[in-house]
Amino acid sequence: MVHKIVYNRFRVFVESFLLACVILLVGFSLGFFVENYRTSKVIADYRANEIESLDLKLQNYYYQIMDQSSCDSAIEQNFVFADKIYLEGLNIEKFEEMNQISEDIKIEKKKYVLLKTELWLNTLLLKEKCNADFDIAVYFYSSDPSDTVKVAEQKILSNVLKEIKEERGNKLVLIPLAGDLDLQIVDLQMKNYKITELPSILINEKNILIGFNSKENIEKYLSSSK
Amino acid sequence: MDWLIWVYLLVFFFGFFFMFIFLILHYRYKSFLHYVPPLSKEKPLISFLVPAYNEEKTIKKTVTSLIALDYPMNKKEIIIINDGSKDGTLKIARALEKKYSCIKVLDKPNSGKADSLNEAIKMIHGKFMAVVDADSYPKSDALINMLGHFGDTTVGAVTSRVLVKNKKNWLEKFQIMDYSIIAWTRKLLDFVDSVYVTNGPFSLYRTSVVRKIGGFDTKNLTEDIEITWHILSAGYTTRMSYDAIVYTSVPSRLKEWIKQRVRWNLGGLQTIIKYRKDFFKKGVFGYFILPYVSSAFFFAIIGFFLFLRYLWLKGSYQLVSLFYLFRGYNYFKYFEFDFFLSLLLLFGVIFFFISLWYYKIGFKHSETGNQNILKILCYSFIYRPLYVIPLLLAIYKMIRGDIRWYTK
Repeated sequence: MVHKIVYNRFRVFVESFLLACVILLVGFSLGFFVENYRTSKVIADYRANEIESLDLKLQNYYYQIMDQSSCDSAIEQNFVFADKIYLEGLNIEKFEEMNQISEDIKIEKKKYVLLKTELWLNTLLLKEKCNADFDIAVYFYSSDPSDTVKVAEQKILSNVLKEIKEERGNKLVLIPLAGDLDLQIVDLQMKNYKITELPSILINEKNILIGFNSKENIEKYLSSSK
Repeated sequence: MDWLIWVYLLVFFFGFFFMFIFLILHYRYKSFLHYVPPLSKEKPLISFLVPAYNEEKTIKKTVTSLIALDYPMNKKEIIIINDGSKDGTLKIARALEKKYSCIKVLDKPNSGKADSLNEAIKMIHGKFMAVVDADSYPKSDALINMLGHFGDTTVGAVTSRVLVKNKKNWLEKFQIMDYSIIAWTRKLLDFVDSVYVTNGPFSLYRTSVVRKIGGFDTKNLTEDIEITWHILSAGYTTRMSYDAIVYTSVPSRLKEWIKQRVRWNLGGLQTIIKYRKDFFKKGVFGYFILPYVSSAFFFAIIGFFLFLRYLWLKGSYQLVSLFYLFRGYNYFKYFEFDFFLSLLLLFGVIFFFISLWYYKIGFKHSETGNQNILKILCYSFIYRPLYVIPLLLAIYKMIRGDIRWYTK
């Protein structure tokens, strides 16, 4: 009889179980490796940005104390840094969505939000001291992925802002900040500017645009020159 | 790590586990797929039980195919059970009874298939009994390809390979593929004593075993699953003969298909509940069959809800985006497809390719023969997801206790 031929045919269950374990372990290890790689890249970028941020801060002091007449270089560098940090922020958002094993990326995201807040404060100082005429738009958004309606709305809004930023170049500093990460300095600023809803756009510390706003509407609150 | 990721991983793990069981069994035993045990010289009397309810269109052909089976006529006893038919079934049955001396007609008021079979069991004389659906047609060598398995005295039942008779529309064509895969996996499970259904179209039972366990369960909607589990639970084994072929008519319309599958699902759930005490007892029955069938139900539901959640998340996102498109915000500009490597994507891709491999060899060794990737993809992504409709309906009916309308 066929069923008597092979010794212990029930070993197939153990073999299949072990094979499934191997696939899961290999996949898990590979996933862990990829996620770690992404996180370590973010950490490395953050370190470089941290130095740049400190450099900018010191330049601010320098212009305030030593050389108040020449602001152009500081403004230029501020813009370069703001653009760079903006792109890093977008990358982190993507990585956060894809990382499923470790929570490290979330910590890095918080650090970036703090860095961007620092940039904002720095930009405010620079604008005041140099009497510059660029606009500052701070985009407070929600990072909760479960509210898909809001996610879609924010996706369109962030693209609208991106378009405005691309058109205006060095006439606009755009700082997106996740407003729901329990970071005290962000909460403090939101309270200060009476921002209670996400998403909201704070333009030049005066106007608050709540929810989705058309490109035309946002532009109304910005300086007319592009 | 999010709890949902654990759920996904659990589904993947069991998916891989079951898939590997079939793949290993196939590669280890593929040369035995068509193995037919030798027949003994003795030709025992076989009783054929043909329960019929409004089967005037098919009953004659079914009975004729039984007459035509390669087996001595004087060793056949055919009982047509007219289960209170309202059409001309009884008239045809009586005519057949007149024509062939081995045919007897049992005419009774309608009481359902299981009860009809139980009534017939009281009057049969065969050492083995075959249950034959009145719309199914066994090939002439089906019986002799099954009978040899009873040489092993622990075997309580042997089932056949069901193939689709009607092959016209898309649903019927999908069912050809479906029945092929079902038969192939069932045969593979035979190698680990785990044939958990002896199908309704044509299955052979040791009469003494059926009598010993008290016949068919009249309260169960799928008496063929229930009796198999009863036989296994009583310590007997069940077998499948891959070369014993029976053709059956399958539903041609989706509504009929859903109704049939709701009944299968309800019966399956009823059977699991009935035998729940045997979990992790009684050898392969409690350690594999019960957990395997139950988890198939469980993971189908979990998988469906995970899919529904995904659909809701993506769907609502795209709908909102579409709304902005109509307001003049260029949708395609904002539509981005990120193809980052993630853990679940990785498992999804591995699972997809293993499934393709599984279906590819499954079809190759079944009635359909080699199938191209496109057909397999259509089967996997169009037909198989339909499974969830009758499953959910069955659960809904089970919860509401609404199963009466299925019993005749």
